[in-house]
Amino acid sequence: MAEYSKQRGAGVVIEALAKRYGEVEALAPTDLTVQSGEFFSLIGPSGSGKSTLLGCIAGFVPPSAGRILVNGADIVAVPPYRRNIGMVFQNYSLFPHMSVAENIAFPLRMRKLPPGEIAGRVERILSVVRLPGMGDRAPSQLSGGQQQRVALARAAVYDPPLLLMDEPLGALDKNLREEMQYEIKQFHRAIGATVLYVTHDQEEAATMSDRIAILNHGRIEQAGEPRALYEQPRNAFVASFLGDANLFEVRRVDGAIADRIAVETSDGLRLVATHAPVTVARLVACIRPEAIRLGNDPERTGETNVIDGVVADVVHAAGSVRTRVSVGDRLVTVRAATQRNVTGWRVGEAVRMAWHPRDTLLIPKE
Amino acid sequence: MAGGGILRIMLVGFAALVLGYLILPTFIVVPLSFSNQNYLSFPPPGWSTRWYEAMAGDLAWPQAAVNSFLIGVPTALLSVVLGTLAALAVKRGRLGWAAAASAVVVAPMLLPHVIMAIGLYPVMLDLGMLRGFLSVVVAHTVVAMPLVFITVCASLGSYGEALELAAMTCGAGPWATFRHVTFPMIRTGMLVGGVLAFATSFDELMLSLFLTGPGTRTLPRLIWEQLNMFLTPTIAAVATLIFAFSLLLLGAAAALQARGRAQPVLRHG
Repeated sequence: MAEYSKQRGAGVVIEALAKRYGEVEALAPTDLTVQSGEFFSLIGPSGSGKSTLLGCIAGFVPPSAGRILVNGADIVAVPPYRRNIGMVFQNYSLFPHMSVAENIAFPLRMRKLPPGEIAGRVERILSVVRLPGMGDRAPSQLSGGQQQRVALARAAVYDPPLLLMDEPLGALDKNLREEMQYEIKQFHRAIGATVLYVTHDQEEAATMSDRIAILNHGRIEQAGEPRALYEQPRNAFVASFLGDANLFEVRRVDGAIADRIAVETSDGLRLVATHAPVTVARLVACIRPEAIRLGNDPERTGETNVIDGVVADVVHAAGSVRTRVSVGDRLVTVRAATQRNVTGWRVGEAVRMAWHPRDTLLIPKE
Repeated sequence: MAGGGILRIMLVGFAALVLGYLILPTFIVVPLSFSNQNYLSFPPPGWSTRWYEAMAGDLAWPQAAVNSFLIGVPTALLSVVLGTLAALAVKRGRLGWAAAASAVVVAPMLLPHVIMAIGLYPVMLDLGMLRGFLSVVVAHTVVAMPLVFITVCASLGSYGEALELAAMTCGAGPWATFRHVTFPMIRTGMLVGGVLAFATSFDELMLSLFLTGPGTRTLPRLIWEQLNMFLTPTIAAVATLIFAFSLLLLGAAAALQARGRAQPVLRHG
């Protein structure tokens, strides 16, 4: 990436921000703090409020209550065209009647910069997004990935301290998406702006973000670093939304010996955990697929969580094997790295699953 | 594919038949206008241009043509302004009652003009505007505006609101957003709508009968009056000219639409 004048990203503080449409609560009163220069993702299923939150910050959606502080100043009453925030849209939203250079120059023209400076800035940012010499093309002459790079350039050419991205890679196919994830990260490092990134793809968010907020039903379920969210999900929704999770409903907590705690699941399995359970009525036990080891030697394992089952199916994906084991009338997913010269399990084979008590996460169901 | 070819030929043949059935009778006025007889007969026994000379000699015709333009042009301009504003409100306004508003705007196109004329007549009489240009321009705008509304709505529907939101985040205020983004995207629709609005006013008879007077008489009204009195090929000559002019307008509208679809990058300066 070419050199680019780096500047400090804005700190964003959201205080009790809420949006209702009549009876529908699109966004429950929400608090969120995004650090200067951070790459922060909002993820959640459709209708979870992530786009509403982004729309409030961009200025398209007037919030029903709350404040949005960008570098300490409340912007709720500021119209979108005076917020000096950059935005990248899902379908690029390039102006089809303008050339690539004219698209990128547009925000600079609106700011009444002298033509000479506009030309210089457009040229510089075209090389940052690796499209040098493409200024005269029409947007329709570019590929999807190139168009998205033009959209990035247009959103960043005026050095906004805050960049919003609304599912910017949603329209691209998988390979291109992965390439663009890398490019956006590079771009983020080059410009130094704070990025608020909306996606429904948890893998994309985990790959790119410093921190993630998971939204559901108009509220933030949990916010934190991707690894923390994965390892210490606050509830069953977070556990199942970020990565795969085997979730067992807990029927009864049997009691604790030292730091071990035994529970009985609704399908009658006995599991052991190390964590002290949260004091809520309904708990689930969450076991990540890669925490479980498969064996068929009943004597071999010293693990305290042991469940026997029958292999239901085996899927070899790039680099890993996913085996599903049926226990009673449910399936437990197990994932392991592919190993050379090790044959997988055959369907119908009896198998023993084992894992360490610290990998049994007891978390609230809701 | 041979089967497809035959089907295609049959389709083209059928379309040609329908078009011929609909349009050929209109073409009859062309030979009629070049007749050398004093009455309308087809086919004409001989040819002459005397009816065109008669038309040019009668000052009433050019006066009516001028009136038609004096009414048609303001009607088209008013329709473009109002129709575009209405389309923007319905398509971008986030109104709860957008569907109802569309129905109300389009309704005059579907109502019989005679009913509107009966309603407008006493109103214009009360306002003292009867037989003036303004009253008929207002009436024609009511029936022509839906055409602009429809074409501009189609233009606005051809791209997402995100384009305008993008312009706003770039720092363009409402007016700059319209000037630099919305207007270039919808100007073809506005132009086509304007041409159609002009044509509507130019062809309109019923409202003109009720609302125009001797000083504001339009071409269709003059034809109507002449038909009632004497049926000479002069009318065929006028009709031929109007017909040619209407074809020109239609061609212009079609050409504009084709250009709008091609959607080239327009260079500024």
